[in-house]
Amino acid sequence: MLEILHPNISNNNKNNIDINLSEEKIKINIRGKNKEFFTKVGKILSIILPSESNTSSSNENYDVLWLSPDEWIVYFDENKNSNIFDQLYKDISSLKFGSITDISSQLICINIKGENIFELLSSGSPFNFEKFKNNVGSSTQTIVNHIDVILHHKSKNNVNLFVRRSFSEHLYEWLVDSSNFV
Amino acid sequence: MPNYRIHKTEYIDETKRVSFKYDGKTYFGYEGDTLASALLANGIHLVGRSFKYHRPRGIVSCGAEEPNAICQIGSKKDLTEPNVRATELELYEGLEASSQNCWPNVKFDIGGINNFISPLIPAGFYYKTFMWPKSFWKKVYEPLIRLSAGLGKSPTEPDPDIYDHKYVHYDVLVIGGGVSGIIAAKMAAKNNLKTLLVDDKKILGGSTIYQNNESIKIDNKLSSEWLKNEIQEIKKLSNLTIKTRTSIAAYHGYNFLLAKENLTDHLPEEKKKNKIRQRLWKIRAKKVVIATGSIERPLVFNNNDRPGILLSNSINKYLDYYGVTCGENIILFTNNDSAYETSISLHKKGIKNLIVDLRKSASSEIIKQAESLGIKIYFNHVVTNTFGYRKINSLEIMKLSEDGNTTVGDKIKLSCDCLGMSGGWTPMVHMHTQSGGKLDFRNEDQVFLPKENSEDQISVGSCNGDFDLENIIDKTVNKINKFLDIDNQDYQDTNIICSKENDKRNIWLLPNKIPLGKTKCFIDFQNDSTAKDIKLALKEGFRSIEHVKRYTTTGMATDQGKLSNMHALGIIADTAGVKMGTLGTTTFRPPFTPLTFGTIVGRNVGKFFEVVRKTSMHEWHVKNNAEFENVGQWKRPWYYPKNGENMHDAVQRESKAARDSAGILDASTLGKIDIQGTDASEFLNRVYTNAWSKLAIGKCRYGLMLNEDGMVYDDGVTTRISENHYLMTTTTGGAANVLSKLEDYLQTEWPELDVYLTSVTDHYSTASICGPNSKKILNKLFPNLDLSDENFPHMSFKEAKLENINCRIMRISFTGELSYEINIESKYGHSLWKMCIEAGKEFNLTPYGTETMHLLRAEKGFIIVGQDTDGTMTPSDLQMDWIVSKKKYDFIGKRSLYRSDTIREDRKQLVGLLTDDPKEILEEGAQIVSDIKSKPIDMLGHVTSSYFSPNLNKSIALAVVRSGKTMKGQKLIIPMENKNINVTVSDTIFLDKENKRLNA
Repeated sequence: MLEILHPNISNNNKNNIDINLSEEKIKINIRGKNKEFFTKVGKILSIILPSESNTSSSNENYDVLWLSPDEWIVYFDENKNSNIFDQLYKDISSLKFGSITDISSQLICINIKGENIFELLSSGSPFNFEKFKNNVGSSTQTIVNHIDVILHHKSKNNVNLFVRRSFSEHLYEWLVDSSNFV
Repeated sequence: MPNYRIHKTEYIDETKRVSFKYDGKTYFGYEGDTLASALLANGIHLVGRSFKYHRPRGIVSCGAEEPNAICQIGSKKDLTEPNVRATELELYEGLEASSQNCWPNVKFDIGGINNFISPLIPAGFYYKTFMWPKSFWKKVYEPLIRLSAGLGKSPTEPDPDIYDHKYVHYDVLVIGGGVSGIIAAKMAAKNNLKTLLVDDKKILGGSTIYQNNESIKIDNKLSSEWLKNEIQEIKKLSNLTIKTRTSIAAYHGYNFLLAKENLTDHLPEEKKKNKIRQRLWKIRAKKVVIATGSIERPLVFNNNDRPGILLSNSINKYLDYYGVTCGENIILFTNNDSAYETSISLHKKGIKNLIVDLRKSASSEIIKQAESLGIKIYFNHVVTNTFGYRKINSLEIMKLSEDGNTTVGDKIKLSCDCLGMSGGWTPMVHMHTQSGGKLDFRNEDQVFLPKENSEDQISVGSCNGDFDLENIIDKTVNKINKFLDIDNQDYQDTNIICSKENDKRNIWLLPNKIPLGKTKCFIDFQNDSTAKDIKLALKEGFRSIEHVKRYTTTGMATDQGKLSNMHALGIIADTAGVKMGTLGTTTFRPPFTPLTFGTIVGRNVGKFFEVVRKTSMHEWHVKNNAEFENVGQWKRPWYYPKNGENMHDAVQRESKAARDSAGILDASTLGKIDIQGTDASEFLNRVYTNAWSKLAIGKCRYGLMLNEDGMVYDDGVTTRISENHYLMTTTTGGAANVLSKLEDYLQTEWPELDVYLTSVTDHYSTASICGPNSKKILNKLFPNLDLSDENFPHMSFKEAKLENINCRIMRISFTGELSYEINIESKYGHSLWKMCIEAGKEFNLTPYGTETMHLLRAEKGFIIVGQDTDGTMTPSDLQMDWIVSKKKYDFIGKRSLYRSDTIREDRKQLVGLLTDDPKEILEEGAQIVSDIKSKPIDMLGHVTSSYFSPNLNKSIALAVVRSGKTMKGQKLIIPMENKNINVTVSDTIFLDKENKRLNA
């Protein structure tokens, strides 16, 4: 029987910082640049892809993060619409309008909440969080403790951190350790 | 016990007595003391022995420039720390410190014999002496030198302290919390700029904070009182962060600076527990204001290094800040006005003192004030010698000649118990030069000053050569207004009264009747280099300051020549008859003051030493006793020892099982790139050396990727998923670089291609099952999948479902066996692996690690990029000409394959090697020769891979050998330390040349 095994990440709370695994999310990498691509994505997700760097768009079902001028990541709870990947792939990849790739297991989502989260992230990230922390909806690609991450400022002092699965346990342990010292 | 603490100050809390041990004896100080001030309060000047001559040395300064008072702190094996400056270490209850570089103790040091033989061991002595007899070097000289080398003792157990790093971003960073730094910080913060002010001391204020001379006033207040008000004001500014006990260690390009904050070094041991000891701040600032001040210069005269000889301004700080007098009968030797402030302070506290001034006369206000107090001044005089072994007790002065080149008249002997020297001031331009700034030389007072050429960095205050208070404040305000493009009027009406220095006279090496060769005029106190050494270096032909520095070791000690560099330059200039400004300076390198290793490393210790990547199957490997190998950042199973097996035995078992029945490998770490787009085939044609346009959907192909120079860069199998959709695999270690390189090509070289790349390395986990029984195992897992060779031939792929989960199965082989790679979404990876193991039980499916993988592929002659290649191998060198398309118009590296050098026939080429003794296993990296007797011996190449093959029952190796392609059958020699191993050049494929096993 095939069982799901997520990385060994448990809930942790220290110094006003909550660290939780936020899995059971589908993540899809979407790439494209022509008009048809934007139209198709907009129609399927009912969302306009953010065009400004380090921003995101959200609706009740999906969050879409800007990654580059022709690349986004859309993530959502897997019980919301598990067929959305097939639909996107069929209407975009198959019709040669762009590229749709399932990366649900590529990235692990760790949710970090609390007043001191930006202090924590600044221990290992050279990114300037000054504007980021004041703008809910901001997203960025940076490094935390030498590891590539994508950050999404979901709500005030509430960040979804996406990290490659293989790095996730190490980064989690580092986050827990560093949260002792903020 | 004598008590030299003669008055109360607001910086020392005499209600909080602190006991500490120095050289095993218990003393007392107060909260607020440094170790140095507490020692001086207890009458202790002698704190160590010099590095080379083991001369008794005392505290010289009160800050980071201290060359002598460096101590060993603590005695625990894990916490002891050498070379800590007593002048910077804040006193805490229970502190244990000891003097360094002396045995049996600082008062009687056996090494002191060096002082008596000092004429025999001048600068360069080591380089000249230990050349002969040659045989003495290894057995006599080196052991002896090693025994005496080094200062202090390193801890021998891991550091239990906690260190941390933090990144911060500011609009303005102000370095230095003296008067100019405080003004700059206030102006910046009040202009709504997010500002950080750092200072290495416990409190802000620099030397002005304890200034109490009535002739120096701001707005009719003592300058110290005025500054205290300013400090109170800036503490209220919400966008100003003040960090004390924080020193800038390095100033890198683009205003990136590193600062070390001491958080617990001043606390007693019980209060340090579980707290961060030091934090490294990584600061990005849009603008940087350098206000690092200046350091008082010593003077260079005979025996200027005795305990009790200090910098004049330091005597003043110990007195007015710590309430400690450095002596009861003090002489101040100066060439400028600042020593007069010390003299007046001493006089006010009733300390007997007099002044010896190099200058013929001087007429500033402060000198008049000293004269009016009846302080004796010897103008136009110079100290020519000092006396006293463990502490100065007297000195001799003589009158200077008119030109200052010699002394005249009779010696005057003066008794004293302390000598203060003041040779002027050296602006601290370290930060400016570290940032890339250049220097100008101001001849008037012989100082190097920052040459301003940056819009993002500025120097203010005395580090910019402004030494009197009026100049400091006026110029700082004007410069900051301009620098920050603001119009701050806060200081417009500030009324400043201060004495102006009118007369200057600088002599780098003071004249003496005694020949220089018989004097000890120290320049670098810590490294024991003297004026004589500098002159010797010049005599021996060294001209560049960088060469003189290295020959004499001037400025190379832990204080990095803060007190010595200017004098070395001055003496070189005077001796060589060149202008000092044209000599330049030695390079100011970070760190400004030494950093602990802990601060540099931060939390990257223990399990955080290195970033670790794990596959989804990792837990199973751990449970099954795998030994792991680091591959890139991945932890890959290396081998799975059973019943006490060593690696060799485990690998022999694993590889035999894979060939005889079935083996399974966690191949999840291979890089995987999803390629989509209408031009995906064309993209692959340009990336790989072989052709891709005709690869059918559902088929796989091996590809070799070159660098622009034609050398093999990476390899892997790519699968055509659909018309415009491929899945590329790369080597484990090369995955990230390959993706970056390909994305770079798409964005910069081939923007016309409609291709998108997405990394899916972590999305898929891969179990690779190989061996004659692999098909049977796969059949158990995927009973509905037609695994016949017709339907699912070698180098093809199928989509399949394991239960309800999609899998991609590639029939590809890196072992030469019938082999399948099952890819599944990583969250199911662990489960897939367990199911494979379960299904394979009846076939003795054996998990194998990277070592067996290497052996199996070597038997087949398959290369590993990075092991059998080293960035200098072309496909032809690897005997892989077959993979280079002759028909394709272009691919990365194609042109380079036709260069004269890459088509040379005598390039190193990949071959197989068989040892004459089949049991002999070659060492990887061993050199290969044909004639052991020729001199110099001609190295033909080296062994790249070597194993004992249980399947062939003999040793096999791959090697790169010059002209190797033409050497098949030739005998070569592997010279090892104790023997020569004879080998024969063979084909690179050792097993199943006909590839029968692929379809077995």
